[in-house]
Amino acid sequence: MKLRMLTSALALAATLVSPLQAAEKRDGEFWMVIGGRQAVSHIDPGQSYDYSIRMMTQALYDGLVKYTGNPPEVEPWLATDWTTSEDGLTWTFNLAENATFHNGDPVTAEAVVYSYQRVLEMNEGVAWMLSEILKPENIKATGEHTVEFTLDRPYAPFLSFLPWWFIVNPAQVEANVVDGDFGKAWLAENDAGSGPYELERFDQGTAYWLRRDADYWKGFPYEAEDMGGIIYRLIQESSSQRAALMSGEADLVTDLTPEEFEVVGARPDIEVSSTPALTTFGLKMNTQGEYTGDINLRKAVAHAFDYETFVQVYNGNAKLQTSPFADAIRGKVEIDMPRQDLTKAKEFLAKSQWPEGGITLEYVYVQGLEQQRQMGLSLLNSLKELNIELEMVPLTWPNMVARASSVEESPDLLAIFATPVSTDPDAVAIQYHPSSHGKYYGSHFVDDPELAAMIEEARAISEWEQRAPLYEQIQQRIADIQPEIFGMLRQRQFAYRTYVKGYVDSPIRMTAEVDLYPLYIEP
Amino acid sequence: MLRLILKRLGLMIVMLLGLAVITFTIANVAPGDPARLAAGPDASQEMVEQVRAERGFDKPVPVRFFIYLGQLARGDLGTSVYTGREVARDISQFLPATLELVLFSITIAVVFGIPLGVLAAVWQNKAGDHGIRLLAVSGAALPMFWLGLMLQWYLALELDLFPLGGRLGVFDDVPPKITGMITVDALLDGDPATAFTALWHMVLPALALSLPALAAIIRVNRAEMLEVLGRDYVTNARAQGIGPFRIIAAYALKNAILPTLAMIGLRFGWMLGGTVLVEGVFDFPGVGLYAAKAAVSSDFEPIMAVTLILGAAFMVTNLLIDLAYALLDPRVRNQI
Repeated sequence: MKLRMLTSALALAATLVSPLQAAEKRDGEFWMVIGGRQAVSHIDPGQSYDYSIRMMTQALYDGLVKYTGNPPEVEPWLATDWTTSEDGLTWTFNLAENATFHNGDPVTAEAVVYSYQRVLEMNEGVAWMLSEILKPENIKATGEHTVEFTLDRPYAPFLSFLPWWFIVNPAQVEANVVDGDFGKAWLAENDAGSGPYELERFDQGTAYWLRRDADYWKGFPYEAEDMGGIIYRLIQESSSQRAALMSGEADLVTDLTPEEFEVVGARPDIEVSSTPALTTFGLKMNTQGEYTGDINLRKAVAHAFDYETFVQVYNGNAKLQTSPFADAIRGKVEIDMPRQDLTKAKEFLAKSQWPEGGITLEYVYVQGLEQQRQMGLSLLNSLKELNIELEMVPLTWPNMVARASSVEESPDLLAIFATPVSTDPDAVAIQYHPSSHGKYYGSHFVDDPELAAMIEEARAISEWEQRAPLYEQIQQRIADIQPEIFGMLRQRQFAYRTYVKGYVDSPIRMTAEVDLYPLYIEP
Repeated sequence: MLRLILKRLGLMIVMLLGLAVITFTIANVAPGDPARLAAGPDASQEMVEQVRAERGFDKPVPVRFFIYLGQLARGDLGTSVYTGREVARDISQFLPATLELVLFSITIAVVFGIPLGVLAAVWQNKAGDHGIRLLAVSGAALPMFWLGLMLQWYLALELDLFPLGGRLGVFDDVPPKITGMITVDALLDGDPATAFTALWHMVLPALALSLPALAAIIRVNRAEMLEVLGRDYVTNARAQGIGPFRIIAAYALKNAILPTLAMIGLRFGWMLGGTVLVEGVFDFPGVGLYAAKAAVSSDFEPIMAVTLILGAAFMVTNLLIDLAYALLDPRVRNQI
């Protein structure tokens, strides 16, 4: 009897204090709760970025252009249209005249100039995309709503990077500059944007509240006027994410493991989205390493690898690469890629400096990522056929980045997910150019003058018809020199309650990044 | 007594300095490039070098250590490489949450641990004793994070009795910050409902965090009670017809409590460290979670700051326990 009373009391207390179901209204409005695993360390579009920062800054700010859809296309946004000069050096953008910042100030060409110059002068965040071809003084407002960029040299991928450059309100930023810090400290936790959402609360390490700007100058792609805002809530364990989604404490979760994705996908009250990503997963080989410096050894390893197991690790939610370029990359062509063939593997090994094997290769992967460990085990098993041992070394991500930064330290094989920031083929090709040496995705330290010359030539041509054939050759050349075991394209997977509407996936986004703009709730 | 306190405080400063040397050395010989981390994965080498110079990573390690000590002396705990935020500000935000959780957990451990230890001793070798000992063994053996996941799965998800995580419901209003402990701040703000909600959110993480301490308190208290209950003065008291409850409360427990008190103090320090495991499971935004995130990002200034603060808390707790010992036991007081 006492036990029953206690249980009843507990149940009553639970109903009193249990969190509201997220689809319920708060002050007459719906607030969508997104459960994500990565904190938002700041919301300044000028400082360094990761997926959670990029997701927030895209909601708070507008760029001249924006990536939308699948396959991703660059769509006019703050810029209504643009022209390029014959020589490919001058790009002129006309701005929407009705765009306003959240405080009511108009978005002008001067604001665009200020925002681009700020990032280039700070030399942080996205600056790397344009710093080699654009000087701050070569960005000019030629009218109240016209802005002109003059590049140092023709650079075809220019437009494809602009979706990640956001426009800040100079008046708000300048009023908050402290000791010449470009307003960094203030912008880290305050917004000065014109985007569809305004910052309402920034509870570091807990939750980040975005209020929908009902008067957003561009409007919304839905009619639901009772959409109040979005809360990005930190739920750091994958199992807790799943539980939160199932209990309704979260309406959408960003990066479930494949197993958890299967579990929630079976429920009628949850929808799942699984679409091909632009992200490639490969095992990058150090082309200047003691062993993997030998192209025949690299080819032997690539032919020994069990590609089918690779896909099975993701419960079939992945597909093998058929080119060094992902499917959504412009100009991708089908290349004859290595598949498991032990006879061929042995033939290549026989031509290498180690015809009998008898060596040990080092495989470095992200500590705690079970899928990468399983891939290592599969490789270990395959290499036994070649009398090659595999030493599996799990490292934290920062330590992997450090290992990849020097040719001497770069391991024989490094398991890497790489997401290009644009769909322009240069964004992938550049990984195999000496300018990527030292970066995690350049851990193979490819130094092939013929390939480098082709990459440089292709990025300087304006006309796509002239670029496309070069990229065919580039893809073939990359495959020929076998700098990595080209793995797979993992599906982007998101799960959300059925009342969440408007979800649109785009492979250009990072692994767990969502475009918040079109999302709304309709029970 | 004053001499003891001054001596111990002096010793604490030396020990904290030693801790700073160790953590700083580990942080600086560990692999990883903090400048590249701060600049971001796509940063050019030039951007990395710019960050290296701005943050002083290009200076020799001993120079950086003395700069760091100078910072500490000014109360500056440095800046997170990863977030760019001042560590002192982060700690002031996250530490009260952890202290609140640990205080609640230690309360659970004490409130249940001492009576269960007494009952186990009184029921020695009977079914009740076996049951309590089984709980004690389980508490010592079960990993905290696993227990946390099980509590979450069963009590939160299956029975829907408790929230899955966090300090408050996502739509609950946070009371104005006074101490940073939501239960206390809400009560000070005259809002008992929010205090209760915050307490309700702490039940599951506190249970997971308190079980090892509960187990330890049960074991120590049981052993001490058994020893005291076998002493002559207890037998004498029984012979005089004094009731069992009074014997336990007034005679036995008073003498058995000192080692238990020491255990509670030690466990308080361990619990602060244990929050690294539990806060992650329950998304409880405290210093444990903060330190865990910093560790996987090789973000050393937050890790060093948390280590020093937890180290200091551990030492202060031990000092307080020793003082409590001295106050309660005249023999200890006379030795000082």
